[in-house]
Amino acid sequence: MDDIKVNQNPKLGSFDRPNSYIGRSLPRENAKKHLEGGGQFVDDLVLPRMVNVAFLRSPFAHAQIVSINFEEAKECPGIIDIFTANEIDEICKPWVGTLGHLGEMKSPEQTPLAKSVARWQGEAIAVVIAKTREQAEDALELIEVEWLEKEAQVDMETALNDDAVIIHEELGSNLFWTRTVEQGNVENAFKEAETVVETTLDFARHTGVTLESRGIVADWNKAEEKMTVYHNGQAPHMMQHIIAKHFNVNEGLVRIVSRDVGGSFGIKVHVYPDEMAAVAVSKKIGRPVKFIADRLESFTTDIHARCHKISGKLAVDKDGKITAMEVNDLSGIGPFSMYPRTSAIETNQVLNLSGAPYVIPNYKAIGTVVFQNKTPMCQYRAVGHPIAVAITEALIDKAAMKIGLSLAKIRKINFIPDNSYPNKTPSGVPLEDLSHQASMDKLLSIMDIDNIENLNKDDLIPGTISGIGVISMSEVTNPSPLFYGVGGAHISSQDGASIRLEGSGAVHLSSSITEQGQGTEAIMKQIAADQLGVSMDTVRVTLGDTDATPYGGGTWASRGAGIGGEAVLKAARTLKTNILNIAAAIMQTDIDSLDIANNNVIRKNGEEGISLQKLAEIVYYRGHEIPKGTNPELLATASFLIEGVPFVFTNSAMGCHVSIDQDTGIVKINKFWVVEDCGTQINPKLVEEQIRGGVIQGIGGALFEECVYDNQGNMQNATMADYLVPMAYEMPDIIVDHVTTNSGRSIIGAKGAGEAGTGGAPAVLMNAINNALAKVDAEVTSQPITPEKILRSMNKI
Amino acid sequence: MKAPDFSYYEAETLSDAIKFKSQDDEAIILAGGQSLLPALNMRLSSPSCLIDISKLKDLNDIRLEDNSIYIGALATHTQVMESSIIIEKFPSLVSILKMVAHAAIRNKGTHGGSISYGDPAAELPAFAVAMNAEIIVSGLNGNRSIAAEDFYLGLFETDIKSDEILIGINYPLVKNNEKIVFEEICRRHGDYAMAGLIAKVKTYQSTIEKLKLVFFATGDRPNVTSKTSEIVVNNGYEYSVIKKSLSSEIDFAGDLNSSEEMKLHLATILISKILKKLEN
Ligand SMILES: Cc1cc2nc3c(=O)[nH]c(=O)nc-3n(C[C@H](O)[C@H](O)[C@H](O)COP(=O)(O)OP(=O)(O)OC[C@H]3O[C@@H](n4cnc5c(N)ncnc54)[C@H](O)[C@@H]3O)c2cc1C
Repeated sequence: MDDIKVNQNPKLGSFDRPNSYIGRSLPRENAKKHLEGGGQFVDDLVLPRMVNVAFLRSPFAHAQIVSINFEEAKECPGIIDIFTANEIDEICKPWVGTLGHLGEMKSPEQTPLAKSVARWQGEAIAVVIAKTREQAEDALELIEVEWLEKEAQVDMETALNDDAVIIHEELGSNLFWTRTVEQGNVENAFKEAETVVETTLDFARHTGVTLESRGIVADWNKAEEKMTVYHNGQAPHMMQHIIAKHFNVNEGLVRIVSRDVGGSFGIKVHVYPDEMAAVAVSKKIGRPVKFIADRLESFTTDIHARCHKISGKLAVDKDGKITAMEVNDLSGIGPFSMYPRTSAIETNQVLNLSGAPYVIPNYKAIGTVVFQNKTPMCQYRAVGHPIAVAITEALIDKAAMKIGLSLAKIRKINFIPDNSYPNKTPSGVPLEDLSHQASMDKLLSIMDIDNIENLNKDDLIPGTISGIGVISMSEVTNPSPLFYGVGGAHISSQDGASIRLEGSGAVHLSSSITEQGQGTEAIMKQIAADQLGVSMDTVRVTLGDTDATPYGGGTWASRGAGIGGEAVLKAARTLKTNILNIAAAIMQTDIDSLDIANNNVIRKNGEEGISLQKLAEIVYYRGHEIPKGTNPELLATASFLIEGVPFVFTNSAMGCHVSIDQDTGIVKINKFWVVEDCGTQINPKLVEEQIRGGVIQGIGGALFEECVYDNQGNMQNATMADYLVPMAYEMPDIIVDHVTTNSGRSIIGAKGAGEAGTGGAPAVLMNAINNALAKVDAEVTSQPITPEKILRSMNKI
Repeated sequence: MKAPDFSYYEAETLSDAIKFKSQDDEAIILAGGQSLLPALNMRLSSPSCLIDISKLKDLNDIRLEDNSIYIGALATHTQVMESSIIIEKFPSLVSILKMVAHAAIRNKGTHGGSISYGDPAAELPAFAVAMNAEIIVSGLNGNRSIAAEDFYLGLFETDIKSDEILIGINYPLVKNNEKIVFEEICRRHGDYAMAGLIAKVKTYQSTIEKLKLVFFATGDRPNVTSKTSEIVVNNGYEYSVIKKSLSSEIDFAGDLNSSEEMKLHLATILISKILKKLEN
């Protein structure tokens, strides 16, 4: 698998030329660093005079703080100080998690520490500053808080009832946001429909479970008035802006450094109150402050995701053509909308993406987002997709069953045809360059769908029933300014790259895209080396430092390759032109007769050229040898953003085959297939790792992961022993294949590939399980699909 | 999640450890640390001192005696699984241990630690009870041997006195006409089970003559169900009859992954699974 060749994008030149790295599964250099334990994570950082903090967190989902007594705690060894909202609010301005472009959103001001009322179990109310984290935790135990426990609004389904507990009096209700999308005439279409199917699905809360927990070291330098923040986030320039704004520091004097980051999945792209408190403490006491969330804090304060209940109906005519679809989604986001992206976007994606692969002339989607006393909920890998895809594909399977069409046939006759782009989703979002038909055809052939039941007969243990699922989906990737910027958030939709040839002939590249383990650094290097004509080991990459990289959005929404990669391509091409211009002047020839290959400027006619090292030496050290008037810049910078459409979409088709033990309710995934169309693959192995990893995270949501709450709002399973993530044994064989339709929005042609697996796996698994359960007249509609839920659906218990 | 302050004592001899423990009620034994250290980090307990016995010599013996196998308290799960005596005489224990946690944990976690911790969801306490093992503890007054069935008194509660340390377990050898059969149902491999069963079966000409059923992850301790065993031996397996009998014999306690009803159902199913295994 070292050197897979993939279908090449003609805009990138021949695949056989030297240094053609785009499209090859080259090994990634930083994997070796991590294997050797040589990464540098936030917690590895130790600065002189650094202190550690731990937070006093609410043990209740909803409670008033009557009084806090620190006296004894302050006497503990190593304690430097203890602050509450009173002290922190002097330093940090509050924030509000709303955006302006999606209709009215109502969320209250949020501060780093809760002032008088705690609104979720885990909300921070005081920060203990100590030499070591252990000392801070010792002191925590001695803080006396008098709480007045209040009734908690835990259940999202009753949050808008007349007798609901209103979480923020000033807002008057627990409604954060609601939106309705309508195209065509849905009411009429359902009235006239021949066949209508309906279902309601539940999606429990789960969370991201990054290997490295959230962490920050804030270092306020009073003399320079400079705030340096080492942060394991995804979007350094966004954090730079936010910290400048809320701490009243000149934005140019805020530096965010994000070196190695151990996983993010969207968890680390939000502004967290405890991290803001750590920054405030540093500014107040003038010392570096470290906060590393422990696993318990991760479970109760990292954003949770999903938490939806969606009902839907679908109308089809007698041939199985869809005539109308309607969905109604309810989602609970905890007591605050997260900042700055808001907690509305998951629901918004559900409204945008339900039915997305299909022609549906009449479409209506209603979304309602409410507050509740649980951990805040926000965007996590595949935002909204699992819900949109699951409801769509569940309804389609139901319709197929009702009118007697095969799972493949009903999809094929409803797809937006591959030759009909540009087109639109049923909700009206522009679509380009997709291939649902070709991808489904390929999926069905690699699954050998007609023989699948025979193929697996041998595997079947008595007492098991088996089922298959196939689904199609569209994935939002490479967002334009129309995603966040238009709504007033300072989140860059541009990304930049800067590339230079150094005196040694080495190439240095910096990019505003960041790496959290997915291989960003490797693909940026591949693009730069490929476009420049140098060997891979010539290129060194710097990411994740606002003092050292161009400005840009960072890594989220599967935008690294498509947007950041295009910026690298453009910068590398400009540098190449600069180099060739200089070489042409030195060699007294025409630039068109020259090219760069294997770190040399070569003459196309085969005569001797000049090495990049020699050329750089001339330019930097003996500039007088270059003919006058030649531009001596061996540095190029470029930016890129998507224009004209809100997103570049990717599509995938997925299939799976499951067996269910009817005695125990245990599901075994026998095999899983994905066909993905993400356009140009820069490194196919990394694309496939993204897809497989995504599928596994989707399996997590579908079968295992759940933040379990009791009805007082206490999280019951905030440990890695009790919160179940899929592990090696639970990972099925995942066969990945591709269809390639390059994006017309860029030269590189890459679309995103980071989230489809997570977006589609829950739907295809649920469909396969229900396909099996249909054989015994049972059905599950609630994720995670636990053995107990399966047994209950079969009336076994 | 940092442990509270405690002092640390590395015992050089068993009698030192016992003496130390008898003098300090709040001191606690540290063996492999795989259960204790997470509990400390969660600040679920705050002992005055950890008495580290992991360096004590001669407590990790695995030896074949006349009619029994002796496993020293400090033998790790991995050592037990790799011991040629165990592989030959107790292959069932090897397959049971494969379901205990993961390799990294098995490399540190000890046999005695698991037996003395008494987690009702753990496999080894149920195994000891099923095997009629003798648990040997040592205290100020010397050694004492306790029948496994009497050793477990309640949820994480055992008969070890405050001056005592578990030093080893004596398992009677499995006779020619006896078999140990094991089944458990987990949501993920390596997890504590939703329900598990270890059965000791005595057969005569391929019919079951005697059956001991010990469930784990069902109640507050390893659950022995002698009435149900009798029903199975006399009348065979019938789901509803067995279920009714189990519900009267075990005080099922639900957990996050399975409710009481689920555990009762699974326990019933486990018996049928074990009987199927015996048939093969
Ligand atoms: C992720 C994970 C998964 C696990 N899964 C399973 C599983 O599926 N099944 C299972 O059975 N176990 C499981 N375990 C638990 C593991 O098997 C136990 O931690 C281990 O066997 C206990 O032994 P230890 O040597 O680590 O004990 P320690 O953690 O050192 O001690 C545990 C307790 O026993 C006491 N103790 C230990 N030794 C003695 C002694 N000789 N005399 C008196 N008291 C003593 C200690 O004081 C302490 O209270 C899991 C653990 C982890 C971390």
